[in-house]
Amino acid sequence: MRILLVEDDSLVSDAISRGLVGSGYVVDAVGDAESVASRLTDTHYDLAIVDLGLPGEDGLSLVRRLRRSGSSLPLLIVTARDGLDDRITALDLGADDYLVKPFALPELAARCRALIRRATAAAANEIVVGGLRIDLAGRRALNEKGDVLELTRREWSILECLAHHSGRVVSKERLTQAITGWSEDISGNAIEVHVSRLRSKLGSSATVRGIRGLGYRLEDA
Amino acid sequence: MALRKRPTSVHKRLLSYLLAPLFVLLVAGVAVDHHVIVSPIHSAFDHSLSRSALAIVARIHARPDGQLDVGLPSHPPPPLRAMPDEQFFYRVSLPDGTTIAGSPELPIAPDSQSPDGFSYTNITFRDQPFRLASYRTSETGDPLVVTVAETPARRDRAVHRLDVAFLINDTVQMAAVLIIALVGIRIALRPLQRLSRQIAGRPAVALNQLPTEDAPAEVLPLVESLNSLLGRVRDSVLSQQHFLANAAHQLRTPLTGLKAQLEVLTRETAGTPLQERITLLQGGVDRLAHTANQLLTLARAEPSAHRASHFTAVDLPHLIGEVIDSSLDRAIAHGIDLGADSEPVQVTGVYWLLHEVLNNLIDNAIRHTPAGGNITIRCGMENHRPFLEVDDSGVGIPPEEREKVRERFYRSARSTANGSDGCGLGLAIVDEVARVHGASLSILEGSSGRGARMRIDFPLVR
Repeated sequence: MRILLVEDDSLVSDAISRGLVGSGYVVDAVGDAESVASRLTDTHYDLAIVDLGLPGEDGLSLVRRLRRSGSSLPLLIVTARDGLDDRITALDLGADDYLVKPFALPELAARCRALIRRATAAAANEIVVGGLRIDLAGRRALNEKGDVLELTRREWSILECLAHHSGRVVSKERLTQAITGWSEDISGNAIEVHVSRLRSKLGSSATVRGIRGLGYRLEDA
Repeated sequence: MALRKRPTSVHKRLLSYLLAPLFVLLVAGVAVDHHVIVSPIHSAFDHSLSRSALAIVARIHARPDGQLDVGLPSHPPPPLRAMPDEQFFYRVSLPDGTTIAGSPELPIAPDSQSPDGFSYTNITFRDQPFRLASYRTSETGDPLVVTVAETPARRDRAVHRLDVAFLINDTVQMAAVLIIALVGIRIALRPLQRLSRQIAGRPAVALNQLPTEDAPAEVLPLVESLNSLLGRVRDSVLSQQHFLANAAHQLRTPLTGLKAQLEVLTRETAGTPLQERITLLQGGVDRLAHTANQLLTLARAEPSAHRASHFTAVDLPHLIGEVIDSSLDRAIAHGIDLGADSEPVQVTGVYWLLHEVLNNLIDNAIRHTPAGGNITIRCGMENHRPFLEVDDSGVGIPPEEREKVRERFYRSARSTANGSDGCGLGLAIVDEVARVHGASLSILEGSSGRGARMRIDFPLVR
């Protein structure tokens, strides 16, 4: 896995490179946005980490330029600016994730992993959570042993909805909406019943955590 | 609360400046009217008194023996008849003082040499004031003096009545003038009221200019200097925000480098004695990073840093969902059950500030709640006021410390004992942000009887 790091501060750049190399990635570091284009034509990268505050052309402009040129390279923004406006602008322009400085290296590594996995899974049209593989095209879920789980239509809809937002809390209302295509009248209790059956079918591959007053979250077991 | 001096109102001042002169004018007016009317009334009554004297003269006949006979009946004709509360006296005498008829003790008015033969005076007769008229005539042959006297009750009453009439009339006029003036003042002050409404109706953080088109000339300088002040404040806010953005960048980037370098170093020195010192360094850098972050947040939470455009409708249940989403892993790692109990409610606020506040409150709660405890975030409406609260089952805050924890850099004994790495700015940020939103932060006992409940009550929804 090859990562392009666009960061002008040598202290940060050096540490991130070392950290990611330690996690098993190949890292190429550049100090400005101008040298990105030539790198991208020569080499295939699985992810780019872009600092917003670059000398010359700034990170936002680089993101915009990359997306306009049709690149689907996963982009992780790191920045010292924590204003919500910047964050929204970056995501709107086509960045895939956003990390505010100062961050911990393990968190950066985790985000990189998630982004690369998401990009790979999107290509295969599947979502991977822990040991669970959700094949969206085939409408089936496989556990860590590769066995296809026997799910009812409602359980599948709930799992699909949770998987689309994996790692994030999905409200009961949203889950209800996801399955009311088959039934008009679904109570909150019915959702709980479906979720608890789904949970037991997932076994140790992944788990559905209930969050009091909010909803459910699909996470690694 | 200390007694405040009531602000002076232009309205009241104008009124008090008008009221005193108007009162003086009223008194003077009535006095002038009185003087103008007294002399005609007196001459009218004197004239009527003189008619009485003439009526008596008409009844004087010279008897054949040359003696004069005054034929006054026991019931005198109208000009001589006294009203029930009046008294009337007459005396017919010769120039030498011999009384022919009437009351001989009645004095005679000194001769005023007037062509009609009448002279008038005021006397006191039988302990009562009288108006006296003496008529010197020779109509019957020999010179005679006919003196008549009446009590002045009727003329006094006439003057008094007219005085009262003038007083009423003048008072009504003055009252009318006063009412017209009041209405006029009110109308004239309308632009001022409009201006004060415009200023009062603005959000506390609005720094845009006030309109000058319809400001009256007297208020225009005030509006203009207010506008220039607002302009300067806005400039300084913008430059402050710019400065903070730069400061954030300049602080965070090297901190990120330090943190990351130390992490790499930890990995590379695993198993060596250096490890322990690197861990210490890491703790220091983490604390520094946290404090820098909190300081920047606090500076950016200052009320002056927010323009009205930053305020939007914020859906509290959505906000709770977002913040819990990002804090859930930490809560789970600490073995804490983090949940929500939210009802649909919206407030007007700065989204990222409220996000920061809730994040700080949850962060505090996680730090002060032992494993196995629970934290519940609530929002809803109480007495038409939206509220947001974080309720934990942790160690709580003793009542005597509840005020102090809001202070910047205050660190309680329990937070140091817990080894938590707070910098003592969390609640100061919450307090500041609450203030920016016109809300209030209350520090209460947890609803389970243990722990703390941090509650933000937003302003009344209109």
